[in-house]
Amino acid sequence: MDARLRRVNKEIADCKNDKTSNIKIELIDNSPFHLKGSFPGPEGTPYEGGHFEVDIVIPESYPFQPVKMKFITKVYHPNVSSASGAICLDILKDAWSPVLTLKSTLISLQSLLCSPEPNDPQDAEVAKHYTTSKSSFEDTAVYWTQIYAGGPGPKEKKGKSSSAKPDERDEVAIAGLEEAHVNQFASLGFPRSKVIDVLRRLNYRGANVAKITEDRVVEELLK
Amino acid sequence: MSSDYEFSDDDGDYFDDEEMIDGTQDSEAQSEDDMDMDAFGDDFKVTPKGKCKSYEIEYESLSQSAVERLMQKDVDHICGIFGVDSGIASLLLRHMKWNKERLIEKYMDNPTAMLVAAGVTMPEPVVTSTPTPIRTHSSHTTPTNTSRRPTRATSKLMALASGSKSKSPTSSPTSSFTTPKAVKTAKSEEVFVCPICFDDSPGLQTLALDCEHAFCSTCWTSYVGSKVRDEAEHCIRCMAEGCALACPDSFIRSILVPEPGAPITDAAQEEENAKTWARFQELLVRHFVGCNTSLKFCPYPSCTNTVSCPAAASKISLTTVVPTVSCGARGIGGQAMTQSQQGSQLGIGGKEHKFCFGCPIESDHRPVVCGAAKLWLKKCRDDSETANWIKSNTKECSQCQSTIEKNGGCNHMTCKKCKHEFCWVCMGPWSEHGTAWYSCNRYDEQTGVEARDAQSKSRASLERYLHYYNRWANHEQSAKLALDLYAKTEKKMEDMQITSALTWIEVQFMKKAVEEVDKCRMTLKWTYAMAYYLAKGNQKDLFEDNQRDLERAVEDLSELLESPIEAENIPTLRQKVTDKTVYVQKRNEIVLEDTANGFVEGRWRWNVTVDGFDDPTEVAI
Repeated sequence: MDARLRRVNKEIADCKNDKTSNIKIELIDNSPFHLKGSFPGPEGTPYEGGHFEVDIVIPESYPFQPVKMKFITKVYHPNVSSASGAICLDILKDAWSPVLTLKSTLISLQSLLCSPEPNDPQDAEVAKHYTTSKSSFEDTAVYWTQIYAGGPGPKEKKGKSSSAKPDERDEVAIAGLEEAHVNQFASLGFPRSKVIDVLRRLNYRGANVAKITEDRVVEELLK
Repeated sequence: MSSDYEFSDDDGDYFDDEEMIDGTQDSEAQSEDDMDMDAFGDDFKVTPKGKCKSYEIEYESLSQSAVERLMQKDVDHICGIFGVDSGIASLLLRHMKWNKERLIEKYMDNPTAMLVAAGVTMPEPVVTSTPTPIRTHSSHTTPTNTSRRPTRATSKLMALASGSKSKSPTSSPTSSFTTPKAVKTAKSEEVFVCPICFDDSPGLQTLALDCEHAFCSTCWTSYVGSKVRDEAEHCIRCMAEGCALACPDSFIRSILVPEPGAPITDAAQEEENAKTWARFQELLVRHFVGCNTSLKFCPYPSCTNTVSCPAAASKISLTTVVPTVSCGARGIGGQAMTQSQQGSQLGIGGKEHKFCFGCPIESDHRPVVCGAAKLWLKKCRDDSETANWIKSNTKECSQCQSTIEKNGGCNHMTCKKCKHEFCWVCMGPWSEHGTAWYSCNRYDEQTGVEARDAQSKSRASLERYLHYYNRWANHEQSAKLALDLYAKTEKKMEDMQITSALTWIEVQFMKKAVEEVDKCRMTLKWTYAMAYYLAKGNQKDLFEDNQRDLERAVEDLSELLESPIEAENIPTLRQKVTDKTVYVQKRNEIVLEDTANGFVEGRWRWNVTVDGFDDPTEVAI
């Protein structure tokens, strides 16, 4: 039997038998080389309570070349692209070892959620948000977990993120911005979506708000 | 045509690795120095030893096996100093990018750290049982091989590594050897399951490095194959996660190359493995060449030769020489032909593998140095077409010199940048137009004249650039058409043999002339790049005089070549062409030699900052 097929089948079976890790691997179609992995968001992080799905493609030369993984669920994390779900993780690239398995890789992804690496970002805007204001970043990550990964939503104790209404998707909260800031520039007559876009790009958050002049924002808005 | 000495595998013996590194070889080195003067058809000529012309550089072409021998010399040197086997020495050298001096320094400083960093030994000495030269305590002596019943794989490794002190322990479900560690014994009694492919068939061949991370040999083969072929990786680490131990060459060889006499089990697989092994060796050579500044690979497709040119190894040397070299091979593709086979054939198929040792921009950009040639090409790529368009479609704001295109509307222009208001027709300030708005009748006014002067000044630099560019491009275009010219000339040569009593050898003057024209056009082309950047002065005037003489001679010769052939005037034509060819050759040589000498003497002054040179002392455009 093909060594790759044997290995993948065994890995899927192992994962099914293992009830402790909470990691699931399912087939997407009939091919055992295109899979969907999922795991719960790690406790004590903004991703807690969420359910994260990962698209897995097993390359021809697996396990000697790394498996290709990307998030299906949208994740707000410096090392995950907020648009495509692409993941920046060393073991998916040059630090891959043939001994690693789908399960161990998914566990590594789970732990990546616990320990972001903003200095080696996949998504520079998210990383900037993280370094500028960690608490604001976490609020946004919680909100994303809530709306995309079925998480419990922002905790009551935090008043800051009160702008996020649980029922409707709040674009301002998705972008990790303050409602007041958006309103300030929207009131000048710019379309709301454009204001959100520009403020997100400028990283108009935390201490940065004081550094970025209003003129600069307006200049960007006029472009 | 230039001819190279035939290079063969023996060439490597000529080298001494000391010379390689230090560049101390001098007049002894063989050099190509008969570029222009030797007669045609002399394809087997071996170049004389001795000083080459000032515009040429000493270099040597090396085959892959010659480079391998150079590597082996370095490895042997390290073996001798450290007392390690060649596999370890090779790993150490590769880790230190073949910098022997630094390796020796670092190794003497802390041998353990060096060995660990290079992937030779494990970080914790208690885990393995490999004796390395630095670990001499008794607990690490090799267990006697007799206590083991080696599997086939083991014995293969033992045989390969027997000259050295290293050995690779293997574990196999079928072998019941005693190992120094109890844990290991217990493990080896269980059924071995390869942690990668989960194969648990009894009698599975396993292999491991000194770290004892055992995997089945099939997985090792696939792994090494994938690393070598897909990733072009020459440093192959153990497959276990986080294990930094590197596979020595003997280990990789044992995986890929079957023992002599071993039964062929899977012919296709073995062929694949043989290819991987060849590729691995090529990768090692590439790494060695890449780490050594006095070596460069021939850039022609599927050519495996290397050129050694210690004189152009440093960046600073590129300010005084234009290191045009040739690897000695000809033709494109696998069938790199030797000169003897190819000598009679004209055209691109037989072009020699000429390239610049200092830069990748063009094979031969003499006489101009790499830095200026690069600057010029960049400018041309950015500018040439744009410059032409700007020249014909725009004007500059008379206040801030921004380039402005008028794409409609009236003549009342307001510069977007500096808000200067002016008239498009007379270029004077709009304020002076008074009530005569929208009909400019003030062309001769003083302010308008001044504005136009400024305009023409800024245009002058553009004109100047276009002057040089057009001539440069003209020669480049001619060089591109050289192929057609070759074909036409061959036809003419045939006609001549038919219409006159001249023999084949006697019509070769045509071919010689065409080659000369081609070569000189290359020189001329680059003289324009050079002249563009040369600062004004006597030196530049002299340079341009030489350039003009060569240009005239080349154009005369070209004209002669294009002239129709009539039987009665063939002898005169032949005389003329031959004379002119010699003259052109001389002129070309003068340009090349004078320019090269100028670089050595530091005679040339640039009007811009050229990489590696001092800032220009005077700016004159």
